[in-house]
Amino acid sequence: MPKKIGLSDWSEQFKLVSVEQIKKFTYYHNSEWGIYLSPPATFMVYGTRELKRLKLDNSFAALRLWGFVFNESERLFRAKQIGKKVIATMGDLGIVPVIIMAFPDCVPFYPECIWWTPFFKESTVLLDTATQLGIPEATCFSKATLGAFYKRAYFPRPDAIFASTGASCDDYSCIMQLVEDLGYEIVWLEIPLRKGQKAYPNNASGRLEEYLIGEYQRVWKKMVELTGISNKNQLIKSIKKANQLRNLVTSIKNLTYEAPKAPLPGLELMTIEFGNLYGYADIEEWIDILKMIKRTIEDRIEKGLGVLQEDAIPIAWITPSADPLLLNLVEDAGLRIVQTEYVINQALVPIEEDIDPFRALARAFLQASLIGKTSERVKRIIAGVKEGKIKGVLITNMLGASHCAMETGLIMRFLSAVPVLAIDVPQPFGITEQLKTRILAFAETLKH
Amino acid sequence: MKEVLNPRERFGLLVIDEKPDRCNIIPLITSHSATVYKIGLKEYYTNGKTMAKAQIAAIEEYGHDAISIFSEVGIIAEAMGSEFIYPDDDLPVLKSPILTKVDVFALKVPNPQKDGRLPIYLEAIDYAYSAVGDKIPILAYVPAPFTTGMMLSDPNQFLLATIKNPNQVKAIIEMSLKAAIDFCYEIINAGGLPIIVDPLASSSVISPRAYQEFALPGEQGLIQFLHRYDFDVILHICGDTTPILDLLLQTGADLISLDKVALKLAIEKLAKKMRIIGNFDTTKIGFGTVDEILKETKAMTRIGMRAEKGYIVATGCEVPIFTPTENVKAFIRAAKEAGWYWD
Repeated sequence: MPKKIGLSDWSEQFKLVSVEQIKKFTYYHNSEWGIYLSPPATFMVYGTRELKRLKLDNSFAALRLWGFVFNESERLFRAKQIGKKVIATMGDLGIVPVIIMAFPDCVPFYPECIWWTPFFKESTVLLDTATQLGIPEATCFSKATLGAFYKRAYFPRPDAIFASTGASCDDYSCIMQLVEDLGYEIVWLEIPLRKGQKAYPNNASGRLEEYLIGEYQRVWKKMVELTGISNKNQLIKSIKKANQLRNLVTSIKNLTYEAPKAPLPGLELMTIEFGNLYGYADIEEWIDILKMIKRTIEDRIEKGLGVLQEDAIPIAWITPSADPLLLNLVEDAGLRIVQTEYVINQALVPIEEDIDPFRALARAFLQASLIGKTSERVKRIIAGVKEGKIKGVLITNMLGASHCAMETGLIMRFLSAVPVLAIDVPQPFGITEQLKTRILAFAETLKH
Repeated sequence: MKEVLNPRERFGLLVIDEKPDRCNIIPLITSHSATVYKIGLKEYYTNGKTMAKAQIAAIEEYGHDAISIFSEVGIIAEAMGSEFIYPDDDLPVLKSPILTKVDVFALKVPNPQKDGRLPIYLEAIDYAYSAVGDKIPILAYVPAPFTTGMMLSDPNQFLLATIKNPNQVKAIIEMSLKAAIDFCYEIINAGGLPIIVDPLASSSVISPRAYQEFALPGEQGLIQFLHRYDFDVILHICGDTTPILDLLLQTGADLISLDKVALKLAIEKLAKKMRIIGNFDTTKIGFGTVDEILKETKAMTRIGMRAEKGYIVATGCEVPIFTPTENVKAFIRAAKEAGWYWD
């Protein structure tokens, strides 16, 4: 029966997994150190402490998913050990890695995704280190990135770093500058603010496109310098690969959202959605995992099975939670996530394949979540509310993140037709009974 | 040099073949932590929380790189029915081995949550993991099947049986392996990384042939179980293991902790496939002078750092219980000074 299970149940289930199955799945096709099919207990023993409390989907596909995701840090080091180039792409959330993957043996990753690490580890080590390096305490949890760059134990020293500034998260712009202060060489990209026709009266979108094309060509040039290779056909192939991933994720989301019973928990779905950014540093293997996830979902739907009660109340979630446990708690309260706005829309939309590849990437980026109007950002959710598919909205704020402080009030105004709960994500291991009560009260409001 | 990493990060890099800021330093501070915490030994090995608190106190005192949950190698045998005496000021002593009373086929695999002092160990692991597990690895020492087998039996009879009745010894080891696997399973769920200890498989106790026939299969079985979890497995064998160095490669262990062996020889034979742990003389740390310890630890560390796949600065066996704290501090200070990798 599909369900969410805790660590000891997963350990019990893992007894049934054969050695042959364990050896079957590897990253970078390496059977010596590329095995990743381990139970949650393995990662817990190595310090991922929240796994003692989290509940995860009980499918074999989910075992693969979590093994692969928790293995990422090692994977990046291994990539470097076998001669691949590890490229840090910061701040743009979804486009630059498509360019990087056009170059052979280049592995992109997002250092900011380490913001989940303090929560998974229930540890303030990285946050405290960032504070010691000059980031104020009241800053977005993505400051963990700075601590990780300093410590050099979470990912290898990148062969190149591309960082986006401009119309990006203010906090993260500061963090990236401090990374540069640590002695890392950074190639900076400018993200333009997407405004309406009034601000750019002469072909607004066209001008922004041209600007972004120039920025992406700079990335391309730097990569050519780094690798000595320049093959635009590979960029076209890379876009096709990115679209394969994006289409797969879209279908997984649609299947899950529309099924009478949720066939997959919200935590796994969030993890899947963020995989669109860079395929967790091995896009081929990640796509293979998602195909298995999709088959699992289809099978569950066909059998009428799900991981949540059929009467779970559909909600939308805005801004991703740094603390994965919140997704468990929300579902435990009887809610079901059927729409999300996790600030990575540019990583979810299809990239045009029949135009110049740089223009296609620019157009995809112009659909980004945070570079334009709030009304644009939440329009899909507003539509869902109007159609009666969404009964409430949950917003998770990051303390200090400027877009949260500025946007949450606006979002609540746009979504006034349904109850909205906005909560600040507390520090690691900081979820209080009071916060749980607020979530339960929100669920009660929606039920009655 | 300024330390950049915490012990958890340092150990994490070691097991993926990366050089950390400095060598991991993990002297086998086990029951010695009771001395640091100023408690009686009996209190240490009969109360899980106390054991964990003593271990944490030792880390705070010395600044080494891992918690070591351990008191003595009889714990699984005790849970299987062997009787031990608990002296107030010493470690448990084997009083009445179960196999002097019952046949091997009457042996039962213990329940780690209930039997003997296994629950005490699990409580210690759980407490330490909750308290410091984000920054410090929690190592839990598990006696290997051969060592447990000898604790289930009259030791002399057990050794004689390796010659006169090998099938019986193998049957005992098979049961001990099942017990060790079940214990490891619970240790893992509590947050501990099992370390296999097989002191009685040392060449100081048995011949290389007996090691190969009886001890090695038990170690391999346990290591195979832990490899299912993708753990990097540490095997510790005290005493002289020079005659079995080549056989150690067959264990499958990822890290090998050695005692009375020439470190250079061990590196030459093992370091291409295994990370090396060791091997400061425990008599020296217990009774040597601070100057001697400083000098010899530095020399040892410099040799150990030549190990290709990595090196952990450690003592060859457990730090003696009543070792002066200044001696342990000297050992760690020297290792920190000499064991630096990063610029």
